[in-house]
Amino acid sequence: MSRYDQMSALGLLAPMLVVLLVVAVFPVLYSFWVSLFDLKLTRPHRVPFVWLANYATVFQDPLFWASVWRTTWFTVISVAAIMVIALLAALLLNEEFRGRRFLSAVLLVPWAIPYVANGLMWKWIYDSGYGALNGLLFQLDFIDKYMVWLGDSEKTLALIANAFVWKEVPLATILILVGLKSIPGDLYSAARVDGANVWRRFVHITLPALRPSFMLVLIYEAMMAIRHFDLFFILTEGGPAEASHVLAWEVYVETFRKLSFGTGSALAYIMAILTFLLAFALIRALGKKL
Amino acid sequence: MARIRLESAGKRYPNGFAALESLSLDIRDKEFVVLLGPSGCGKSTTLNLVAGLEELTSGSLYFDDATMNAVPAHRRDVAMVFQSYALYPHKSVYENIAFGLRMRGHPAGEIEKRVRDAARRLEIEPLLERRPHQLSGGQRQRVALGRALVRQPAVFLMDEPLSNLDAALRIAMRAEIKQLHHTMQTTFVYVTHDQAEALTLADRIVVMRDGVIQQIGSPEAIYDRPRNTFVASFLGNPPINYLEGFLREKENQICFARGALSLILPRQYSERLRGQAGRPVKLGLRAEEVDEHSVPRAGETLHGRVSSVLPVGSDQYLGFEVEGSLLFFRVGRDLRHKEGEHVALSVNVNRAQIFDASTGESLLWDGSA
Amino acid sequence: MKRIFLFCASTVFLVYVLAPVAWLVSSSVQQEAEITSRPPHWIPREPTLENFEAIFAAKEKQVTYETRRQGDPATGGYIPSTARNLVPAMWNSLIVAVAVVILNLVVSVPAAYAMAKIRFVGRSASIYFMLTTRVIPDIALVVPFFFFIHKLGLLDHLGSLVITYLAITVPFGVFILVGYFESLPDELDKAARIDGCSRLQTLLRVYLPLAVPSLVAVVLFTFLTSWNEFLLALMFTQTPASQTMPIIVAAFTSDFTISFSFINAAGVLAVIPPVILAVVFERYIVSGLTAGAVKG
Repeated sequence: MSRYDQMSALGLLAPMLVVLLVVAVFPVLYSFWVSLFDLKLTRPHRVPFVWLANYATVFQDPLFWASVWRTTWFTVISVAAIMVIALLAALLLNEEFRGRRFLSAVLLVPWAIPYVANGLMWKWIYDSGYGALNGLLFQLDFIDKYMVWLGDSEKTLALIANAFVWKEVPLATILILVGLKSIPGDLYSAARVDGANVWRRFVHITLPALRPSFMLVLIYEAMMAIRHFDLFFILTEGGPAEASHVLAWEVYVETFRKLSFGTGSALAYIMAILTFLLAFALIRALGKKL
Repeated sequence: MARIRLESAGKRYPNGFAALESLSLDIRDKEFVVLLGPSGCGKSTTLNLVAGLEELTSGSLYFDDATMNAVPAHRRDVAMVFQSYALYPHKSVYENIAFGLRMRGHPAGEIEKRVRDAARRLEIEPLLERRPHQLSGGQRQRVALGRALVRQPAVFLMDEPLSNLDAALRIAMRAEIKQLHHTMQTTFVYVTHDQAEALTLADRIVVMRDGVIQQIGSPEAIYDRPRNTFVASFLGNPPINYLEGFLREKENQICFARGALSLILPRQYSERLRGQAGRPVKLGLRAEEVDEHSVPRAGETLHGRVSSVLPVGSDQYLGFEVEGSLLFFRVGRDLRHKEGEHVALSVNVNRAQIFDASTGESLLWDGSA
Repeated sequence: MKRIFLFCASTVFLVYVLAPVAWLVSSSVQQEAEITSRPPHWIPREPTLENFEAIFAAKEKQVTYETRRQGDPATGGYIPSTARNLVPAMWNSLIVAVAVVILNLVVSVPAAYAMAKIRFVGRSASIYFMLTTRVIPDIALVVPFFFFIHKLGLLDHLGSLVITYLAITVPFGVFILVGYFESLPDELDKAARIDGCSRLQTLLRVYLPLAVPSLVAVVLFTFLTSWNEFLLALMFTQTPASQTMPIIVAAFTSDFTISFSFINAAGVLAVIPPVILAVVFERYIVSGLTAGAVKG
């Protein structure tokens, strides 16, 4: 370290610092500031400072708590499904066989597809009139008449979660695959010598060794699920009734449909803090490695 | 060509760790100086300071009479060879060697000539178009040397350049580096933890420990007149033997005594050791300081038991128990001793070292020579 | 035994991943009559490209509200007049994505090099800062961005997207690059500086050529993120002049009068560029993802 290094480091960092200050830090602080005003674009000339009243309003709103619950539910089922499917896919791709390279290339298809296109695709699959899901189940005789899917408030969150899971599985698979590859082969040989069968090797070596990868996937995907917006917009717009009215959707409705920027910001802030708490663990886990 | 001076140089890292406390070192123009010490002793830090890769946190650094403290590496006239060679993987051998000249704006024709000359010198001409990953360790080493020597720098720095080579190649490269210094006529600073390298190459050796210089001197001075037990132990293979005991004076002679053992110390030590009878000391005896052929004489003989015989081809190492201490000596292979045998070994007391038993400082030399 | 098992598992895997996409492609080349059949025709019997033609030649096929209700006589389909917006929107997406990629590299590369290779005071603070910004949910940025963009007069302008996409792509780019630069030996850095390179020259002449794999990964991530981004584009664009592909496609999906086969054709077009990129550069993406997420 020297003065020259110090100065050149600052010079090299400056563009990033400026960009992040302007487009990340400032907005976050400004967002908090806005959340202290009763700012409605429908009434732009009177903007009273209301301290934390927006937060009080939000917390008293039963719809808020209902959305928190729906977001939690959506997150839990999505992340659970992602973990299971990604683990299976990673175990498969960790084997050596012909066509493995092809499978790992194909795996990236869902990851690369834009969320909007993903939403469009699943909306059509779930379509109650002509969709593939109805067609398939009908042909296989699982149902005797076409069903309503997304429009059924009992099923809608799970169906959206399914679309979300399909798109998120590739990333989770890759992360778990890295964990699998880092397990030393010696461990398996040793266990084999000790007479452990496939299942015991899996339970006693593979799963414990994957703990860090699982943590990473868990935290990352939970963050993604909590903040997810695109599919709710494309598939249901929060409906039917309020069956898919999650937190992210609530922020959107407050801000851009009701144009109530104050409470919208307060909501966004609450959401940011929720994800921050989750992300904190992630940053600490990753920060240690830097 | 430059004289390098470090005055009270200190290097403290932001985390509070002090790699160097206050180091003063004056390296003469065209001198070959080896910084020697165990890892973490500050020798590489010192080299990096001279290179400009790190900056002093206190004290000063001069090249000739110019203060270099704040001059970054790329504006210093230094070249460096690294332990890992640090060749640019994406450049050909030619481009690796030429890069430093290009960066310093030498004309193309001169670059070409210098690179070709260096390649010829180092016998790597056929490799010029290859990439580093296509070379053997020894070849990479030569390219790294070439990259440094084309620069014709005022200061030539080497950071453990031979540590990644196998033993045979290492000896050969030592000779080449010595030759290189001879023809380049420039100042060399060489960092190593290998005492044999230091003894072979150096005009002067700087022995370091925990960021402090222990001794500076010619290889002979360092080897024959170590200032303390650290320096004594760091050089020599197998390492120097120690016996703890007392000084004793009798009949105008100064002796080292331990139990029944009494060695008469040479007359030239008398001046320094006189009047200190009874002082606890450590006697240092190098492994080769036994004379298996001479007739044992009183006051120059160790009586003990051979505890092990370890042949190493050209010679053999003798494990030798004297007065409850285990010493190792190197003797010729024609000497036939058996384990468990009791023998008398004649020692060369003229080269014995005497250290203070508690501080480990030499009672004979203050390191000034 | 094991081979049979692997074969079955691979088949399940392929069906899970590809079946939805296959159905999307299949229905994009069906005619209105076929797409409304029950049960569906999994493989189109009379494949047609008319939906794609409509997108690329939509100007000549204006559909009014009345004709839409009955189907457009010219095409026999239910193709909206906004179909012609899709190609310009894809251009917009491309322009935004390319601009974001370039700016991202300009910002991320030097920062990542400094964090990975220079031991300066504030190094770990800047790493934590970068990581923290990475986890801000984009939806929390919407309101402040809105005012910010409004102030700059960039509402309904592609510039608004370029700026805001930097916020969501720079931390990730830096993250991947820091991991990669750290994996390159420090001694190269020292050697370059001894050879006479300033810090910037060391970066440009030594590390950059060696970092090509991670640069490719960053370029792809940034490109795909920008190409696919929906929420911010929804907020800041209002007219076809600045609307990007996801906005136009999303608008189709909410219009119940439009033919599904047409919507699917639009979906296929939206999917093709990112999928090709992802499959072609699979190796770089995987290494980038793992470097970014695991090595850090």
